[in-house]
Amino acid sequence: MTYPLGWSVIRQILIRRERWPGGYKTRGTALVHPGQEVQPDQPVIHLERLDLADTITEFPRLASPTPPYAGQSADYSGVQGSIRTNSQLISGLVPAGLRGRVINITHRGGVIIESRAAIIQGALGAGNQVAGILTAWNAASWFQEPGAILSNRPLEADASRPFLPGAILVVPGPLNFAMLLQAMSFRVAGIVASSISSRDLSDFLRTDLIALLNSIDIELAQEHLPPVTLLFTEGLGTVAMPARTINLLSRYQGSMALLSGATSIRQSIFPELIISLSVKEVQQNWRPVQPDPALTIGSLVRVCSGIHEGVIGEIDHLFIYQQTFAAGVRGRAARLRLEDGSTLVMPLTLLERIG
Amino acid sequence: MYTETYLGEGQSTTGSHSPATASSILVADCGTVFTKVSLLGLVEGQYRLMARGEAPTTVAPPYQDISKGIIQAINEVEFITGRHFVDNGRIISPEQPTGDGIDLFVATISAGGPMRLIVLGAVNSKLEELTAQAVSGLYAETYPLPAPSYLATTTQDTLTVGTVAKGSSNLGKQGQETSERKDLEWQRQLERVRELRPHAALIVGTTDNPAGPKPLQEACQLVINAVQELNKYQYGSAPARGDQNNASSRQLPVLYAGAPQFVEAVRRMLDGYTEVTRVETLVSQEQLGPTSVAATALYERDVIQRVPGYNHILSWSKTVPIATVSSLSSLVRFLAQHYTMNVTAVDVGGTTTTVMMAGEHSEFIPLVNTGVGVGPGLDNILKKAGPQRVARWLPFNITEDELQQYVLNRMLHPQVIPASLRDLQIGQAFAREAIILTVEAARNHHFGQFDADLILATGGVLAHAPKFGQAALILLDALQPRGVTSMVLDRTMLISQLGAVATVAPIAAVQVNENDAVMHRLGTCVIPYGDLPQGQVAIRVGIEYNSGRQVTAEVMSGSIETIPLRINEQALLTLYPAPTVDVGLGPGERARAAEEIDGGLVGLVIDARGRPLVFPTDETQRHARLLQWMQVVGA
Repeated sequence: MTYPLGWSVIRQILIRRERWPGGYKTRGTALVHPGQEVQPDQPVIHLERLDLADTITEFPRLASPTPPYAGQSADYSGVQGSIRTNSQLISGLVPAGLRGRVINITHRGGVIIESRAAIIQGALGAGNQVAGILTAWNAASWFQEPGAILSNRPLEADASRPFLPGAILVVPGPLNFAMLLQAMSFRVAGIVASSISSRDLSDFLRTDLIALLNSIDIELAQEHLPPVTLLFTEGLGTVAMPARTINLLSRYQGSMALLSGATSIRQSIFPELIISLSVKEVQQNWRPVQPDPALTIGSLVRVCSGIHEGVIGEIDHLFIYQQTFAAGVRGRAARLRLEDGSTLVMPLTLLERIG
Repeated sequence: MYTETYLGEGQSTTGSHSPATASSILVADCGTVFTKVSLLGLVEGQYRLMARGEAPTTVAPPYQDISKGIIQAINEVEFITGRHFVDNGRIISPEQPTGDGIDLFVATISAGGPMRLIVLGAVNSKLEELTAQAVSGLYAETYPLPAPSYLATTTQDTLTVGTVAKGSSNLGKQGQETSERKDLEWQRQLERVRELRPHAALIVGTTDNPAGPKPLQEACQLVINAVQELNKYQYGSAPARGDQNNASSRQLPVLYAGAPQFVEAVRRMLDGYTEVTRVETLVSQEQLGPTSVAATALYERDVIQRVPGYNHILSWSKTVPIATVSSLSSLVRFLAQHYTMNVTAVDVGGTTTTVMMAGEHSEFIPLVNTGVGVGPGLDNILKKAGPQRVARWLPFNITEDELQQYVLNRMLHPQVIPASLRDLQIGQAFAREAIILTVEAARNHHFGQFDADLILATGGVLAHAPKFGQAALILLDALQPRGVTSMVLDRTMLISQLGAVATVAPIAAVQVNENDAVMHRLGTCVIPYGDLPQGQVAIRVGIEYNSGRQVTAEVMSGSIETIPLRINEQALLTLYPAPTVDVGLGPGERARAAEEIDGGLVGLVIDARGRPLVFPTDETQRHARLLQWMQVVGA
């Protein structure tokens, strides 16, 4: 994939985003006006649910395909209370999530904010846009073992940083179904993790993952998802989170961030976590990046598929002639110099530039 | 079946060379996943492919400009040739004395996604089928939404599904229930339209149905509601009626192919909301042409011309960029007529699989299976064919989860090349099913058996197959041809662009086709069919090489064999099928080729596996059988 902004991790960039928590059956009333400066925790929208066609989904559709969530059975027995979906949750006051200037108000009541921010773009995600405080899973230990496989460990809140309802939880490794259920029981707003198996994700979302990713209308498709927004930096599988992503997340721990999980292959929408820079940071060290996704010598790249998936290196040679790879397929290639000094020859199509 | 030939209206913007005399031509094909650029030039008086480059298509963010991908692919051609074709983001034209620049730039496009067409009115199964046929030569998807009143009067069973079950005590209130359900159906259709975000609507149906003209009225009302709804969500308010200049009022153009006496009434109803184009009333296959032409025009205007960067490439070109499928159809029909033979072309792309059959007597069946491909279109293959059908082509065990994971990964990273043999074989299994689904769709449109003299294959999964035998086996497995045919692989992925080239430089198109595009001849195949006697010889084949050497081969039923017949070798064939076996002249009829057949990269293939192919039920045996087939053809 090519990240919509060019790279997966951008430390400083000027962006404009519509603050809109999702949903067709909602209407927003902006509480701010264009030109106004807003803070991340400042309410900017008052959201109301509309009754539009609410009852329709209660009836079997006369001639339409089965809804994507039908027939799936996920075990939510471990979660207290009833399961709510995105569509049931959306109402009330919506905080900006970003620090910056209001540029415009959209017809549905969304607020377009311009902000100087750090961004992590994910490979895969699900769920509406949410704002919350970045909270590390077991903060005391995870930076000591980045990328460790965490699947068998229960989520634990650090005593000094309990999981607050509405937090965006950062898990620096792969996630699984049990951890997702646990996180939902803590009522976190969102989770940022490295990866997950397709089975665990589709079981948790109670949906056909392929249909979700390929839906024409992603907002409509997300109406029935559980109310936890997810972002996976590396995508499917059990790939660890790169150290540079962990470093960025650790740096902004405790900050408010804006997380969107929406992923649509048809519309080239990918999930992203946006963390507005502090005023001090902007004043002292504002060096915005213009990401260039072109693969050139010196580019920092990540292998996006195959047995070397997740490996990061720097291109030190671009081959003139096509190279032959394991399956016998030929393609243009680059030689990567990895962090440990070793080299790896990879097809260009398997590389995505990250810096 | 009908598809309009592209006539190539000129839009001269660069250079002064007459297209027909161009000495260098750059041809770009912007696919969903990759953009391919080929440089054609004169070598000793003949047009040849000189170099080609490939780069990811840049229709999506961060580039959102299709011309960027073309320039990246051109840069690769520049790197290979040492010449310069781009300066400051513009094509250098005409060709300079230094060798830089080109005389002509031609582009075809399949990126941009399919046109979503909702079919409204009194839509019965026949009209549903006809509309699907009308757009079968386009990148288009049809979504029938029959009018609620039409459904209420024609499909009793459908309407009794819902809040009130059939036979319940509420049947006495049937009128009221029907009304409620019509309302529900109405709202459901609105929601469906919102979900689909259609590019256009096609209103069909006459008034000789129990609901009379009401379905047409409801179709118009649905269009009005849909336009208002789309505008409300996109622009914040519904346009006032009569706001013709508002761009949003063109959001859902309507093709009207319904009852002729209501065309003016429909125009009046939709006046101010959207434009209405009248086409001949669609009632049978005879009217498919006008509907197809009108749909093609809409596709070019509302899909191709809205591809980001379209205007940029238009400024480089003397010709209007056209749909890749239109270009391919022109070439396939040309080949069928020029060589007086039946040609089947297969193009397996990332989101679309195309099978086109053109006959020597101008028959033409294009089948564009939109959404079915080996990139982002993999999900549809898995959904439509099912995991078992995909897995049956694999010589190893695979779980449904692994297939699902493969599909998801390929959808997220459609440009990656297979990282292992297992990955490659899974991709090729999907390619087989993509072709099979497309051929099945053709049969669903009541197109009969089409015995091709020539099978022409293109598309990344075939063109990039590491072994020629792999491409040959995919074609044999998926198309399951019969009789005698030959297979050609377009490794250059040029054939789908040569139709567009032919509209401005026909000589170049013909010469490059013969010299380069169809140069990878896989070989001739003999495929006996009928009642193949189990455990016995299905066919005896006599081969007389042009060197004078003679060979006789016997091929058992259920097996596939290759006989060496290299490229540049010819041989005369004599076929002796078993009494119940046919090679095209009737059961047991001996056949002797009037002309020598050509050899190929795979050789002479005798495929006596039977039609349809049957797999052993035992997994181990199935694996062994697949491995054996692969070994025989060098896959």
